[in-house]
Amino acid sequence: MLVLSRKVNENIVIDGRIVVKIVRTDGNFVKLGIEAPADVPVHRQEIYDEIQKSNQAALTNGKPVASGLPALKVATKTVAQAGQQNKTTGGSP
Amino acid sequence: MKTVELGEPQSLPVNKENMISMPLGLLGFEQVKKYVLLVTPEEEPFLWLQMLDNPNQGFVVIAPSAAVPNYAPNIADADIEFLNIKSPTDALILNIATVRNGQATVNLKGPIVINRNTLVGKQCIPTNVAEFALQHPINPIPVAA
Repeated sequence: MLVLSRKVNENIVIDGRIVVKIVRTDGNFVKLGIEAPADVPVHRQEIYDEIQKSNQAALTNGKPVASGLPALKVATKTVAQAGQQNKTTGGSP
Repeated sequence: MKTVELGEPQSLPVNKENMISMPLGLLGFEQVKKYVLLVTPEEEPFLWLQMLDNPNQGFVVIAPSAAVPNYAPNIADADIEFLNIKSPTDALILNIATVRNGQATVNLKGPIVINRNTLVGKQCIPTNVAEFALQHPINPIPVAA
């Protein structure tokens, strides 16, 4: 791992297009500013870890049967029903 | 960051096997890249996303419209490009449910976005992920007589 020392307000540039700025430090708390193009996803590591854990908890052995699933009042439509509706509607409601 | 809003889940051929390719796998299951989406009418709105090479394992998934009103994840440009989605109607969104003892929660932070035309999918982290719950409860409703 590359380790760099930076002062507040100094930057690191990655790949010529991602700028990471040290905005503020307070004890062991560091505030970073990140400027990246829209095609570069930036998330806290915790998000990946949480989703990974959630996926692992959701892993199911054996196809569940209907009786093991909660009875839901289907809001308005299911995927199957939705398929019978107007396909040209796009965007968000 | 520029984002594209995706529409409601719409059509996917039902009552037959649908092979979904996920080149990056799911988070924590990066090595599993092929799934089959099974739709059984009596289990709807739940669907079954089964590992192609391991039919005993899979995930219960649900179209978010059946679980939560007005779910509008903003999918990042990088994901839109990766999935080659040209219009909101190209996208099918499914969310993974965790079912325990007849109670279900749904992960709204990591939707699976599938291109209906190519059947290529990816578990995406929306740019507005902070608005969503990891374990959104799905409330069982007593089945009306």
